[in-house]
Amino acid sequence: MSFHGVPQGVTSPPAPASAGEDESHKTPGTLVLVFVFLAAFVVYYFVNWKLLSFLWRIG
Amino acid sequence: MSDRFRLCPTTGLKVHAQADALIKANAVVATVALLIGGVTAVLVMLTRWQAIHLLPADWFYRLLTVHGMNMLIFFILFFEMAVLYFASAVLLNSRVAAPKMAWSAFVLMVAGTGLVEWTMFTGRADVLFTSYVPLRAHPAFYLGVILFAVGALVVVSIFFATLVVAKREKTYQGSVPLVTFGAATAAIIAVITLGHGAAIYIPTFLWSLNLMHVDAQVYRLVWWGLGHSSQQINVAAMVSVWYLLGGLTVGAVVLNEKISRSAFVLYVLFISMASAHHLLVDPGMGAAWKVWNTSYAMYLAVLASMVHGFTVPAGMELGQRLRGYTKGLFEWLRKAPWGDPGFSALVFSVIIFGFVGGITGVTFGTEQINIIAHNTLRIPGHFHATVVGGTALAFMGVTYYVIPLIFRKRIAFWPLARIQPYLFAGGMLVFSVAMTFAGTFGVPRRHWDISFQQAPFEVQYAPAVDLVIGVMAVGGLVAALGGGIYILVTVWSVFFGQPMEKGARA
Amino acid sequence: MHTGLESPTGVWWKPAHRTEKLWVAIAFGWCMVLFAMMPLWHWKGGQNPTGIRHRVTAEAFAQRTQEFIDTYQVGEEAGIPVVEPPAGSDIYLVGAMWSWRPVLRLRQGVQYTLHLSSVDVNHGFNLYPINVNFQVVPGYDYGLRVTPTAAGEFQIVCNEFCGIGHHLMVGKVIVLPAEQTAAVTGGAP
Ligand code: HEM
Ligand SMILES: [Cu+2]
Ligand SMILES: [Cu+2]
Repeated sequence: MSFHGVPQGVTSPPAPASAGEDESHKTPGTLVLVFVFLAAFVVYYFVNWKLLSFLWRIG
Repeated sequence: MSDRFRLCPTTGLKVHAQADALIKANAVVATVALLIGGVTAVLVMLTRWQAIHLLPADWFYRLLTVHGMNMLIFFILFFEMAVLYFASAVLLNSRVAAPKMAWSAFVLMVAGTGLVEWTMFTGRADVLFTSYVPLRAHPAFYLGVILFAVGALVVVSIFFATLVVAKREKTYQGSVPLVTFGAATAAIIAVITLGHGAAIYIPTFLWSLNLMHVDAQVYRLVWWGLGHSSQQINVAAMVSVWYLLGGLTVGAVVLNEKISRSAFVLYVLFISMASAHHLLVDPGMGAAWKVWNTSYAMYLAVLASMVHGFTVPAGMELGQRLRGYTKGLFEWLRKAPWGDPGFSALVFSVIIFGFVGGITGVTFGTEQINIIAHNTLRIPGHFHATVVGGTALAFMGVTYYVIPLIFRKRIAFWPLARIQPYLFAGGMLVFSVAMTFAGTFGVPRRHWDISFQQAPFEVQYAPAVDLVIGVMAVGGLVAALGGGIYILVTVWSVFFGQPMEKGARA
Repeated sequence: MHTGLESPTGVWWKPAHRTEKLWVAIAFGWCMVLFAMMPLWHWKGGQNPTGIRHRVTAEAFAQRTQEFIDTYQVGEEAGIPVVEPPAGSDIYLVGAMWSWRPVLRLRQGVQYTLHLSSVDVNHGFNLYPINVNFQVVPGYDYGLRVTPTAAGEFQIVCNEFCGIGHHLMVGKVIVLPAEQTAAVTGGAP
């Protein structure tokens, strides 16, 4: 429960996670997100090379 | 001011009264700078929006200078000084190493700021924050920057001294926390940065007094050694704040200390040469120099950011999963405390920094691609995503924790505070994407009139540009509204807010 | 497990887990692609900012540009001389507060060496509408080998702040189509 004017992390801090070492380290959600990021990166990067190639020849 | 400690009831940390006071003082000045920067942002924005074209040309360039200096230098750096005191004295339960010196440094920084503000507002420094020689400002402008930088350098030394004191007095066990480690890398980069600052502002100050010559290209080279590495301070400080907020809001765990810390070390190792990507289409340097230096030696600093971009959300995910949110791919994210402004600010900061700021930055910083980006609106579009949507937003988020934990006050106007990150992030996202897009049409940055009314030849941008700049203006105004709410909430909470003790859990 | 606010005790230099290793490896691979693209474009691509670079004094560059104008001037537009230099020659463009001199009349598909410099402060060369940008720094002669690939009128917008008249600083380049080029050069390829 949070109460007015104080963020939840102060009023009810997350329970200590020290209970168990999670040896699996499974973070599938994040893995999906970072691959979306990588895909966006690759597309934007190469679109810009394509745009550059339309210019006058410069050297 | 005394040397007493108090016990923080929430975190169990021992807080030194001097650390408390120094954090407050720096945060207050940072907020004043943010206010000046915010008001000028709106005026500048309403001028670039050609439909309104508010300011006359001289005041446009003048207030653009004011906006750049107050936001990028004064707001960000005063805030970072507060972060340094927090990450050293508070997180390590230690006293501040040299409180008297810390206060002198603060006075020096404020004095420098005052000089710079005076020259800018009186029209003695219409040179924009980059002040490229041989554009000339009043000597007091350069002197003010020097005083400010010396003060900052002293604070950085006190940070390191505090780490030593804490170690010697055994105020903590084991290694320093990751957040402190990250702040330490920011501080190391700050030393490199301020070194470049001295190397360029002292000669330029002498030049402004006609005592020596400064070459225009050498100025750009050394100035960006300051200008870019200071952005790397921001990145390192921001990432530290990400880990901090992750821990505070959802108990994010550190997946692997080795990986996160090594990534911070990469920032330190590959930053000093980062000025290159501002000089990719300059005449002073050759291709090999540009290719090697722009990529920070094979993009290892980019690698570091990509690593943090994974470990920060993954730490949050694992933390949430350990607490039982294990369903499907994204229950950990859906069931997160989205109404906590610290949490929403963190998430949007990561997203805007990575998806908009990071991708555009690396792309525009490519030697040849820079030909279609240099000095167009793509550049401010990029850095409003990194330093505003990323760093400033993260700093805003952490304030919602600093106020109850350090200032011992409840957050005023709580419902407004809860939507503040949404307004600021949403507005900034629209603003920076639209700005970047307008730049792809070649629209220049730092330009008073892109309808070129009085120019000798006609230039007419594609009609889409007007529309895109209108969208950018709306986004910018929404972000400015979010910024205004932030200032209202923080100032009110700190000066008129209800103390935490009343009704707080003991 | 602990958060980033807590001091880790004991040895924290531990091997990474599989997903972490996977992502670091992929990110590193991508960084190598980013790095490789730049040398690759120097070798295979058509647009590079290297050029021929020299130091030059403002006076010397202004004088060279004046000689260039005197030799090849064919007219005047908006008070600025228009020059039509021969194919393949060295051409000069000087930035000064707040104009670009001269107006250049070039031919499509022909290579020129375009020398850029400033006689006062930094200026920015931005070619409208195709979005080509170079920094113009006083004291330096930036010689770029350019080949206009399309005919038409182009404007040069100054995109580096250069004082209160910055937004007035617009120049012009005219590129004559290839057919006309053939006529001018007497049909030689
Ligand atoms: C609150 C919302 C903000 C809005 C609406 C805004 C708007 C703008 C606009 C319209 C420009 C002018 C772009 C140009 O003409 O080249 C600009 C420039 C700039 N802004 Fe912001 N800004 C905001 C916040 C910030 C913050 C928080 C920072 C830094 C932490 C920042 C740093 C800068 C810098 C460094 C420049 C470049 C100045 C120059 O080119 O000399 N802005 N901003
Ligand atoms: Cu100019
Ligand atoms: Cu200009």
